[in-house]
Amino acid sequence: MAEPPKLRVLMVSDFFFPNFGGVENHIYYLSQCLLKLGHKVVVMTHAYGNRSGVRYMTGGLKVYYVPWRPFVMQTTFPTVYGTLPIVRTILRREKITVVHGHQAFSTLCHEALMHARTMGYKVVFTDHSLYGFADVGSIHMNKVLQFSLADIDQAICVSHTSKENTVLRSGLSPAKVFMIPNAVDTAMFKPVPVRPSTDVITIVVISRLVYRKGADLLVEVIPEVCRLYPNVRFVVGGDGPKHVRLEEMREKHSLQDRVEMLGAVPHSRVRSVLVTGHIFLNSSLTEAFCIAILEAASCGLLTVSTRVGGVPEVLPDDMVVLAEPDPDDMVRAIEKAISILPSINPEEMHNRMKKLYSWQDVAKRTEIVYDRALKCSNRNLLERLSRFLSCGAWAGKLFCMVMILDYLLWLLLQLLQPDEDIEEAPDIRLCHHQGVEVSEGLTKEDKVRNG
Amino acid sequence: MEKNLAGDSIPRPKWRKVAYGGMQIGYDDNYTDESFLEEMVMNANVVRRDLLKVMKDSVSISQYLCIVALVVLVWVHTLESSLDENSLLLLDLSLLASGFLILLLTEEKMLSLSLLLRYLVNISFFTTGLYILAPIYQTLTRSISSDSIWAVTVSLLLLHLFLHDYSGSTIRAPGALKTPNLTSCISVNASIVASVFVASRLPSRLHVFAVMLFSLQVFLFAPLVTYCIKKFNFGLHLLFSFGLMGLTLYSIYALHRLFFLVFLLLVLLVNVVCPYWLIRMQEYKFEINGPWDEAKLCFDITD
Repeated sequence: MAEPPKLRVLMVSDFFFPNFGGVENHIYYLSQCLLKLGHKVVVMTHAYGNRSGVRYMTGGLKVYYVPWRPFVMQTTFPTVYGTLPIVRTILRREKITVVHGHQAFSTLCHEALMHARTMGYKVVFTDHSLYGFADVGSIHMNKVLQFSLADIDQAICVSHTSKENTVLRSGLSPAKVFMIPNAVDTAMFKPVPVRPSTDVITIVVISRLVYRKGADLLVEVIPEVCRLYPNVRFVVGGDGPKHVRLEEMREKHSLQDRVEMLGAVPHSRVRSVLVTGHIFLNSSLTEAFCIAILEAASCGLLTVSTRVGGVPEVLPDDMVVLAEPDPDDMVRAIEKAISILPSINPEEMHNRMKKLYSWQDVAKRTEIVYDRALKCSNRNLLERLSRFLSCGAWAGKLFCMVMILDYLLWLLLQLLQPDEDIEEAPDIRLCHHQGVEVSEGLTKEDKVRNG
Repeated sequence: MEKNLAGDSIPRPKWRKVAYGGMQIGYDDNYTDESFLEEMVMNANVVRRDLLKVMKDSVSISQYLCIVALVVLVWVHTLESSLDENSLLLLDLSLLASGFLILLLTEEKMLSLSLLLRYLVNISFFTTGLYILAPIYQTLTRSISSDSIWAVTVSLLLLHLFLHDYSGSTIRAPGALKTPNLTSCISVNASIVASVFVASRLPSRLHVFAVMLFSLQVFLFAPLVTYCIKKFNFGLHLLFSFGLMGLTLYSIYALHRLFFLVFLLLVLLVNVVCPYWLIRMQEYKFEINGPWDEAKLCFDITD
């Protein structure tokens, strides 16, 4: 008979499987590792198309696809109080102790954190992106974040630059913010036993072709590198609005045989594309933490990247060549990478990556954050309201009113449907292999649907 | 400051700003180093403003307000029939001639004869086209009541003033200023539609042609002329502006006392109160830059 789980965590975010991305992978892998450590993890996200209701994933991970429609860029329509009933039901049913929200851009996350605080649960928030301060969208987002984080127990950021950014945007005390990086599934991203021949050096680029990811830099850099080095070819994977510009660049410089455009690459095929190359090029203009670089390093590729955001912290100096986001500097960096390429050993790089990053380590560190959060003192409504007043002259009072209304709505719900009437879900513990490292790759066959 | 977790015997290694390698020995994950926020730069691009310079710059705004007020005055006088079509046509011609003269005198490089000829050809096309289309404008709003016309005209003029590009000119001299952006194009269109609406209320075809020519001349070319004067000599620009202001205030005084008061207050607001307010608000400016900012591309993207 397995002992009862030590922690019961609810992960909330708008971004989860079947979407693929940094946040989605982070939540999935973190949940899997926490499950292996013996805790209970439940994920709450919005419905994706027909996929609505409760699903079970690998390891007994229960996912609630709440039937709310996404309205712009995969985020739920913000109704402020609309999610209170469902969040309360899920929290009571699963006997949750800690609520962990992900991504500042997710409205579902902010609402769930707010309701969880009203109901007295402990709350942790992870921020995955960097934001500016100057444009209208950022100013509003930062205000929402200030509100959300005013009353939080602990926060996690994925890099030191992200921690500085979050502290400035939200006014949190730095001692409350923990730095826990992302990691990479090194079992899935293995290099090939025999590296492709270095007679023709292949540079791989896999990213969404949008402005933010530096597609315009690629348009300037690729022809120059092809001109300087006749034995270099490029493989570009990914799709987006800037696809047209890259095609034009290929036509203009007649690089059809030297630049291969693969279109959108599904996540399961990323590794097979990466291992055909020697060098990985990342040209983003801003990154809190670039997981793509980790995947490339795990496959044994040397990385060339722009020195933006949290990228300098991600890899040791001998695994990455950094450049300013300027075409000339990037060409110089690629030259340097080509010159040090013979000394790179993919197997050795992969083994180093296994020691530098692992999801198990991330899960253990996150466990420490949860324990800290649980030790935080319980505050009653009045003490919590005083924290909101410092958010601003007008905003503070508005936030206080929002929270008071939330509290009153919660009391009303308790009247209409008392806590005892909410049926508690039994814990289903699937037995898993002990002591054998199994690949945690995301495959469709792993899901078990519980009707 | 975190205490040394290992005790006094083993000094903990120096904290490094890296994300790899797991938890750093001797440091918690929420450890905040002294180098925290070291690379933050505050108020790097903020321009320190001087009150007198801002007041001098605000003269361009009040100058344009006076020009628009003068146009509205001419419209009012024409609608009241105190200004007949022949004097209007004379006004148009004199404005055209003086505008051309100013452009010629203030242009730094020599205008060749062919360029001048091209200007003249364009102007004659413009005028002929307007004359031919005048009957259409006259009957355009016959079925619409006057109240709606005045309401729409006023709101269009307000939109025009709000979105106008006060720093440059929407109509470019060849090879000069920056490309017009969306708001300045909208403001030019708003002013043209307002003049069409006003012109459509007039009795005869010649009236319509004269008023349309006058309004379009002013709205399309006055910004260019004033920009050339400003570029040529700032003192001349100030003199011209004050002259315009005096003329406008005198004309409005002759028309209606209340409007005169309102306009005077508006000019004072724009020239004195707003610059002072702007300088006072500058001390709240808090611009943050750092390594988290999105990188700016140093080259232009030509799509």
